[in-house]
Amino acid sequence: MQPVLSIQGISKSYGRIQALNQVSFDVPAGCVFGILGPNGSGKTTLLSILLDILRADAGTYRWFGEPGSPASRQKIGSLLETPNFYHYLSAVDNLNITQAISGRGTPADIDQVLEIVKLSARKKSKFSTYSLGMKQRLAIAGALLGNPDVLLLDEPTNGLDPVGIAEIRELIKQLAREGKTIIMASHLLDEVEKVCTHVAILKKGTLLTAGPVDEVLSNEDIVELSASNTDQLGQILSAFAGPSHIKRDGDLFELFYPVGTARLDEINKTCFEKGVALNRLLLKKKSLEAKFFELTND
Amino acid sequence: MLSLIKIEWLKIKKYPAFWWMLGIVTLTYPGINLMFYYVYQDIVSEKNTRGIAKLFLGNPFAFPETWHSVAFFSSFFIVLPAILVIMLVTNEYNYRTHRQNIIDGWSRNNFISSKLADVLIVSLIVTIVYLLTALSYGLYADTSTINRWAEQLQYIPLFYLQTFAQLSIAFLLGYIIRKAFIALGIFLFYNIVVENIGVAWLKYKANDIGEFLPFEISDRMIPVASFIGNFGKDAKEGYDRAVAAIVPHVLMTIALTSLIWLICYRIHKRRDL
Repeated sequence: MQPVLSIQGISKSYGRIQALNQVSFDVPAGCVFGILGPNGSGKTTLLSILLDILRADAGTYRWFGEPGSPASRQKIGSLLETPNFYHYLSAVDNLNITQAISGRGTPADIDQVLEIVKLSARKKSKFSTYSLGMKQRLAIAGALLGNPDVLLLDEPTNGLDPVGIAEIRELIKQLAREGKTIIMASHLLDEVEKVCTHVAILKKGTLLTAGPVDEVLSNEDIVELSASNTDQLGQILSAFAGPSHIKRDGDLFELFYPVGTARLDEINKTCFEKGVALNRLLLKKKSLEAKFFELTND
Repeated sequence: MLSLIKIEWLKIKKYPAFWWMLGIVTLTYPGINLMFYYVYQDIVSEKNTRGIAKLFLGNPFAFPETWHSVAFFSSFFIVLPAILVIMLVTNEYNYRTHRQNIIDGWSRNNFISSKLADVLIVSLIVTIVYLLTALSYGLYADTSTINRWAEQLQYIPLFYLQTFAQLSIAFLLGYIIRKAFIALGIFLFYNIVVENIGVAWLKYKANDIGEFLPFEISDRMIPVASFIGNFGKDAKEGYDRAVAAIVPHVLMTIALTSLIWLICYRIHKRRDL
């Protein structure tokens, strides 16, 4: 299947600072694609290039198999960096402009998207009177207008309160279930971990890795276990053949296995046969946070 | 273009500064002309040769001279619509909607075309106010010349072109500087102080090359109303020279204004937003 977005060798510099260096990856249709990176890693620069806000120094990108164009942008619901609206206009008047430029949806759909982001009660208030969270909600409403098949969201939960963050996460998951392609930049790792199926990690403008979350993150299975008799458990584990290495942290042991080779039932059985009853046995994927630090630390 | 204009109207119709500008223009254009109307009344009532000389010129607020006189006096107030034009472009930077419009699906050319439409429309509105003002004075000042209303109508398109040309300069400043107050400050200081002094100084020092300064190029499409000009023995000659300069200045104005918009399209196509 043709990727929704294909990026080839994009580079961009601001004077001497190389913001992006030969970045290439594809975004398959129907995935939730997280673009991760620390502050200043080039996430927003990359998204800005994809929306023709910035000019790339080199490289190309294709939306829906075609070079980027106004027509392709009209099909994408986008939220880039900050909510950008006319301060003296109301939510409805602002979305009327979004609707007129993008051609997405109808004026009647505006009420519907304002309902989704819970702004209906204030839809006639001027944008300048909105709180940061409300502005962000309006920007999300603008992206949702006309139910586009592709959404591009830069830090979508910026400025939202915890309830708002949970709502937007739920919304993203729901949209993903409907088959939408969602491209999302974030520096909030748990946000990406909770909703993304694919991930790309950027550091100082260089792409470190990209692909399905499972592939990128789980190059190791970690089995976490403990028992009341810690020393005896330690002796049993040291005789194990399977794990590449074992770590002890107080009463807790961590066994590291190559992906897909940890067998919890066998570990449990062996320990029990040797007279140790486990009070904890858990298979963990390496957390995105751990992977992220591993990748981005020098 | 029509769809761009519709979208610009969505932006403008609830913009308070637009209605303020319209209100102020509709008050000041008739107002400034009223002032000069009284100046003229004073001159003709003087019992000296100067007053009698003016009498021969005819009433500048009667048809057909009203088209010319009102155009000349109204053009002093180009700063009013210029403020609006500068606000309309710097707002887009301030609200970062110049990016959002592109994100939502305009091309970069669409954005500049939409602003070009704004300037054309503001110029049109100002010209309509001028037209109504000139018409009212023509009807009021001297009923005996009403049958000559159709003479000198060329001042209507000339006024429109002058307004559009000077507002285009205001747009360029707002577009390049991006900050409303700095752009406005430069516009006002240059338009009111620098260029006037420059033109006057160059007239005596450098063979009048001040006529090629950006505002003067279009100012000279509408010669100074004859009754406030300096009247010496060269008066007739000076006035004829001014009239002869209209056509070259129309051509220069079109060239300069085209260049301004070409620059805007070019820059916008290439720069990071």
